Amino acid sequence: MRSSSRITLVAEMETLGAFRAFIERTCHAAGITGTTVDDLKLAVDEAAMNVIMHGYADMDPGSLMLELDIGDGQVEVTLTDFGHPFEPYDPGIPDADTLLEDRTPGGFGLHFIYQTMDDVSYRTDEDGNHMVLVKKLGAA
Amino acid sequence: MQITFREADTAIVAQIAGSIDGLTSEALQAALLGELLKGHHRIVADFEGVDYTSSAGLRVILATVKEARRNGGDFRLAAVRPAVMRVLQMSGFAGIVKIYPDAEAAVASFK
Repeated sequence: MRSSSRITLVAEMETLGAFRAFIERTCHAAGITGTTVDDLKLAVDEAAMNVIMHGYADMDPGSLMLELDIGDGQVEVTLTDFGHPFEPYDPGIPDADTLLEDRTPGGFGLHFIYQTMDDVSYRTDEDGNHMVLVKKLGAA
Repeated sequence: MQITFREADTAIVAQIAGSIDGLTSEALQAALLGELLKGHHRIVADFEGVDYTSSAGLRVILATVKEARRNGGDFRLAAVRPAVMRVLQMSGFAGIVKIYPDAEAAVASFK
């Protein structure tokens, strides 16, 4: 069975918890549980936080739209915003010594997105910036 | 997210409950730095009630570990749930921060 659900909220930190709750509800309704849900919550949280902090920097916070498409053995998440575009990449993680020396390490969020998702893509068009995350079901 | 502090032997136990994310991490950081400023450099974070953390929580953990160690103390975690442990492991933090099965063991580790 295929299902498609979406929620649109203001790009502010309060939205992060609402998105996680939406993912949990939508996945549970489709019979998806466990670490798959944990991974989706984490990846979307990190992507949304980046948009809130950087995508709408120096702008009034605009909309942040989250869409979940479940079917074909996967969950496809599309996060759409209308702020500054930001092409994602996997920065990896620094080793322990660097972590303890570096004053302001960053990039964990992006790393988590690539660690937890099976595919990450990004495109910008007249309808906004779209980050598309794919999590396959039944895969470890 | 809720945070309460209690003294236990030579340490301060920060009992944290709820989710640590971009919304709540600032309050957590402020509370922990407040304890460090009071001269409490041995802090145990009881994570039994923490059901979620994102990278925002990791930044708080790292900043607190560094500041505590700079002052001759440490910031140690206790009772970390599996979902939160996965995030610590993905980031390499499990090798940086000392983690104990419960708050009592973490407090005892400072003796």
